[in-house]
Amino acid sequence: MFLTRSEYDRGVNTFSPEGRLFQVEYAIEAIKLGSTAIGIQTAEGVVLAVEKRVTSPLIEANSIEKIMEVDTHIGCAMSGLIADSRTMIDRARLEAQNHWFTYNERMSVESVTQAVSNLALAFGDDDADPGAMSRPFGVALLFAGVDEKGPQLFHMDPSGTFIQYDAKAIGSGSEGAQQALQDVYHKSMTLKEACKQALTILKQVMEEKLNETNVEMAVVTPEKMFQMFSKDELQDVIKEL
Amino acid sequence: MEAAFGTRNFSNLNSSDSAISHQRWSPYAFNGGTILAVAGEDFAVIAADTRLSEGFAIHTRDYPKTYQLTDKTVLACAGFHGDVLTMTKVMDWRLKMYEHDHHKKMSSSAIAAMLSTMLYYKRFFPYYVYNIIGGLDENGKGCVYSYDPVGSYEREVFRAAGSAGAILQPLLDNQIGFKNQTGVTHVPLSLNKALELVKDVFISAAERDIYTGDSLIINVVTKDGVKVDRFPLRRD
Amino acid sequence: MNYFQGNLNKADYHDFPQKTVSVNISAKNRTLYPTVTGTSVLGVKFDGGVIIGADNLGSYGSLARFRGCERVMKVNDTTILGASGDYADYQHLKGIIEQKVVTEECLDDGFNLTPKSLFSWLRMLMYSKRSNFDPLWNTTIIGGLENNEPFLGYVDKIGTAYESTAVGTGYGAYIALPLLREATDHKPPLTEQQALDLMEKCFRVLYYRDARSLNKYQVAIVTKDGCRILSDKRVNDDWSIAPMVRGYE
Repeated sequence: MFLTRSEYDRGVNTFSPEGRLFQVEYAIEAIKLGSTAIGIQTAEGVVLAVEKRVTSPLIEANSIEKIMEVDTHIGCAMSGLIADSRTMIDRARLEAQNHWFTYNERMSVESVTQAVSNLALAFGDDDADPGAMSRPFGVALLFAGVDEKGPQLFHMDPSGTFIQYDAKAIGSGSEGAQQALQDVYHKSMTLKEACKQALTILKQVMEEKLNETNVEMAVVTPEKMFQMFSKDELQDVIKEL
Repeated sequence: MEAAFGTRNFSNLNSSDSAISHQRWSPYAFNGGTILAVAGEDFAVIAADTRLSEGFAIHTRDYPKTYQLTDKTVLACAGFHGDVLTMTKVMDWRLKMYEHDHHKKMSSSAIAAMLSTMLYYKRFFPYYVYNIIGGLDENGKGCVYSYDPVGSYEREVFRAAGSAGAILQPLLDNQIGFKNQTGVTHVPLSLNKALELVKDVFISAAERDIYTGDSLIINVVTKDGVKVDRFPLRRD
Repeated sequence: MNYFQGNLNKADYHDFPQKTVSVNISAKNRTLYPTVTGTSVLGVKFDGGVIIGADNLGSYGSLARFRGCERVMKVNDTTILGASGDYADYQHLKGIIEQKVVTEECLDDGFNLTPKSLFSWLRMLMYSKRSNFDPLWNTTIIGGLENNEPFLGYVDKIGTAYESTAVGTGYGAYIALPLLREATDHKPPLTEQQALDLMEKCFRVLYYRDARSLNKYQVAIVTKDGCRILSDKRVNDDWSIAPMVRGYE
């Protein structure tokens, strides 16, 4: 994949002569093996939708969780090495609660993302941060939430870089999904429309046939905050596709 | 002796076999000062005298005990001046770090909550400081938060504290809270009435309390920012 | 053989706050009461400068033990300091400050300790030591010129600090400070000579009334021309009316 692959792709703290950190780039590649996750921000709220790979009929699909609640007003979808996300979600929850404890206000989506990004960057041999590992995290996150600036969607990759998006897709189907999002997205999109589009695009990029057990969807709205879709609610949306 | 330090038993700090001096060391002093804040519909008034004293001596006649934290929030502190200086310095540091971290100014309510945690984190070696915060809340309404030295706090409409706090408070209860009055209409407090009242109660406090006097600093917080006014008090 | 087990490592905190002040010491080597003490220090601003004075007595309780204690110091060309309270603690502090000045000089970066920075540093030192229940038993007066403006500040052993036109410690706060305020409040600034004369007057009154004072004193003066210390100054005392005071005989 990388023509200049050399001994410089070993250590996480060694730049290659071209100025690249290969382990970080490989970690970003790891995301492209993950299941697809989509986030769309609208004026009414943000939607997160993810594909679940139910690779065996013996899997209890409910036990695969790829959208999580960070705080009442923030949700997070992920793709990549899901196990890696546990420490990051833990940190996000901790920072959000800490902020609430100290300031008696909800932490902004950007600040939560920033806090997790600090953890993502703390990899290496040192033990500076108790949550950090020796390698970069192999997971990308979509933070969706509502704060005083309104509905917000942030994407963060294993390099710790985070960028705000109107709509973003990550994971194996992200290339096609991102193009599709660009085609359908418009500023006056309703949340209902966004939910429908999210599932439509997931359906297009998924290998299995989309149904209420192999996708997860959640919305964050100013009125009801973070809400996971139940199977029934999912079915209602899927019917309209 | 060492056990006494562990349990923070300040009164046992002095060694009893001292033949030449019986001065007892205390990590605290009381430097006086009276503070006051009143919230109106769209304004807040935060006032304090400027006398800094210790025992029967006046250190300086010009030490304002109010600190403008943002253009919407003013903090007033009285008690042990050393703790006041440290606490307000920590406060400034926290305010700056919050602004860097979250790309916004702290709201009055966030400052209020933070001050409570700052005070409580020193629960077992407290800042001997009485605090009152005055300012505008997220909706532009006047707000006052009052504290005890270990961080218990409450939002109120008016509060006086410090050396003459107990002299001022009943006056405010009566004049702003309409307490112990019958047959009066509860009119909303105007800025002018508030200012006149603040001046009057401080003049009265300066008559009775030796730790209050010299000058009165009045901060008026409105949507246009903070205006600072000075008013002379008796200097004896 | 280590005969001395106290903690007097100046490097531990002459560059405070980078290094934390040692707390692992027993009650034996904390100043919980003063031993040899100096009484009042006075300071007043004048036109273009500051003057700080202190007498030369080192008292051991009620015993006038040492008669040549120097309690004012030159910090650098723009900063002076005077201290009352425990004399050993002052000498210790003096050493730390001198070490700081040397360090600052060695850096040779064009910056020097200013009165305000020393004031702020000293307050933090006093406050953090009191917070570790290991105070330096002194009340210090810092004076100097910063941006050509006179500076005069007070720092005590628990971290109380303020700036003022006139300051006094100990009995000086009760006996001399009113005289200093009378000469400065709502009046045009003093000249240097007036400030010197005022100091003499104050130390005379203190010598009359403060039993722990001496008729020999020093002053430190900062002006734009630098700072100097005038030693062996004597109060012009006159006890001729004393026998006429009832109860004196």
